[in-house]
Amino acid sequence: MGCDIVTVSTDTQFTHLAWQRSEKELANVKYSMGADPTAKVSRMFGVYNEDNGLDLRGSFLIDPEGRLMGSEMNFYNLGRNIEEQLRKFKANIYMAKKGGNEVCPSKWKDEGDKTLVNPGAKMVGKVHEALQGP
Amino acid sequence: MAETMTATTTPPLRLGQKVPDFELVTFEPSKGDFGKFSLRDQIANKRWTLLFFYPADFTFV
Repeated sequence: MGCDIVTVSTDTQFTHLAWQRSEKELANVKYSMGADPTAKVSRMFGVYNEDNGLDLRGSFLIDPEGRLMGSEMNFYNLGRNIEEQLRKFKANIYMAKKGGNEVCPSKWKDEGDKTLVNPGAKMVGKVHEALQGP
Repeated sequence: MAETMTATTTPPLRLGQKVPDFELVTFEPSKGDFGKFSLRDQIANKRWTLLFFYPADFTFV
């Protein structure tokens, strides 16, 4: 997808290494594990909690020009749905590739999806019909 | 885990705006070695980035 995943916590790179080597769930990890012990980056993205020194569950998508294209934040007690993350991710990359006026509605799944719509005057009050596809 | 959250006072990043450049020291499991991530490298290489923050190693993500 031309994309790199970087996980970030306030742990150091040494702790990341130890965790990745000891936790069997992480045996096949390919992504980079970023260390932010000063919380500089975590503060920048607004996920750092000054009360306990830990990051919230925040996900941020940055395009190849360095623009922030997506953000989502959950509290500690709620895990993220990876499939939904990937869906939003693919939609963003698809729209960037296509350019123009096309949008990806909530149920958009993958390239070639017929639910893709072009918003405009014709669609006002006719969103239901537009979502049915051609 | 804390039941409340005290946020920092830095202005939040806004969607559609450029993210200021930043760097992270990394552990690269694919190489078994430490590395470096920087946003400017991503821009130079025309790569998308998904940043995935979580509270702590050795817990669920």
